[in-house]
Amino acid sequence: MRDGINTAKRGLPSVALVTEDFWPQGNFTANSLGMPQVPRVKLPHPLAGTGQEHLRAVAKTMVPFIVEQLKND
Amino acid sequence: MTELMQAKDESAALEAMHSAGMTDGLPVVIPTPDRVAGMVLASGQDADMQLGVMGPAGGVATIEKVAVAAVMAGCLTEHLPVVIAAVQAVLQDEFDLAQMQSTTHCTAPLIIVNGPGRLSCGPIASGFGALGPGHRANASIGRALRLCMINIGGAKAGESDMALLGHPGKFTYCLAEDEEHSPFAPMHQDLGYAIDETVVTVIGAEAPHSVIYSGDADDPQDAQKLLEVLAIGLANMATNNAVLTGGGAVVVLNPEHAKILADAGLDRAAILQRLFELTEYPTERLGYFAAGFASRIKDDTYRCFRSPQDILLLMAGGSGLYSMVMPSWCAGAHQNRYVSQRVELDLYCEIPGLGDA
Repeated sequence: MRDGINTAKRGLPSVALVTEDFWPQGNFTANSLGMPQVPRVKLPHPLAGTGQEHLRAVAKTMVPFIVEQLKND
Repeated sequence: MTELMQAKDESAALEAMHSAGMTDGLPVVIPTPDRVAGMVLASGQDADMQLGVMGPAGGVATIEKVAVAAVMAGCLTEHLPVVIAAVQAVLQDEFDLAQMQSTTHCTAPLIIVNGPGRLSCGPIASGFGALGPGHRANASIGRALRLCMINIGGAKAGESDMALLGHPGKFTYCLAEDEEHSPFAPMHQDLGYAIDETVVTVIGAEAPHSVIYSGDADDPQDAQKLLEVLAIGLANMATNNAVLTGGGAVVVLNPEHAKILADAGLDRAAILQRLFELTEYPTERLGYFAAGFASRIKDDTYRCFRSPQDILLLMAGGSGLYSMVMPSWCAGAHQNRYVSQRVELDLYCEIPGLGDA
């Protein structure tokens, strides 16, 4: 979330990717850094260690949501 | 009855209690007669009922004295059944409380709560930061036991409690198992209790040691590697478990690590068996670090645990890369066994308006 906000503050289109378990923390960070509306997409949790096949499947599923967020940026 | 102290107001009372060494160093709720009476009433038991003798001072742990500690710790009345059970647990001979209170080792009673009382007596946290600040029941219940150990058991740092440094869990050290999300049977069920019973399991334990493992579902050795790093944390050559041997220890799996093991077809018994096997070391290795301890062992290899059941395994905490292990002291007449105690919820009485006292 912090990376997404820092990127956005540089004027670059950005979408923060946040897994489900860390979604509240992402919201907290966005509020704390003064960009509560920063675009973000919720990913399933966990992702780390779940295997290449699963990661590719998640990525494929999430691309349209990320693109959608970028369009709204 | 407990002897009464006098003070002109609560601020003076707090200073008097600090000066008398009755606190853990933090402010306490002043245990006024009314507050203590309310807590005793909620216990559903007689004030002078004796739970046992608490060493090393040999103080008698009555319901009233436990209630005093519970008030001081900031407990709500619904926390009390767990506090009483934790006191009963550490008073069992197998726990070696008097020796544990006196040792130079850093050991503190870790209270693990299973069963429906996790909710009705709390809620007692089992997720993110369950052993950290911000969870009232966890903080108050563990603190109440510590205040009993100070004021009934007589533990004073450098005088009767000779822990060289101690550890922060000596303020409070209490969590629940995350039974709802665990792929394994609740721990108390595997310890022989019914699933609908509420049980505290208490073990004298070191502070939590983090075990990092980043799983890889594509690796056929995923579960094996996780077990190996858990075993390293549990009983490496810097632990009493590897040097003194024969004691207990705790493994707190995070949800991801629990899933890795469950997906590999391992239940609690199988995991404990593997950890038991993986904590077998060459005696020569022990001899390099601790020749005196190694001289007791005649075989070429030795096991850190006497049986797989000496290790407690539960799932708690948030999801991520880190599980926790807690080695133990492994000394005392019973080598610092863990003890389980049923929580008597039927005796508890809800007292309307008590919070206003």
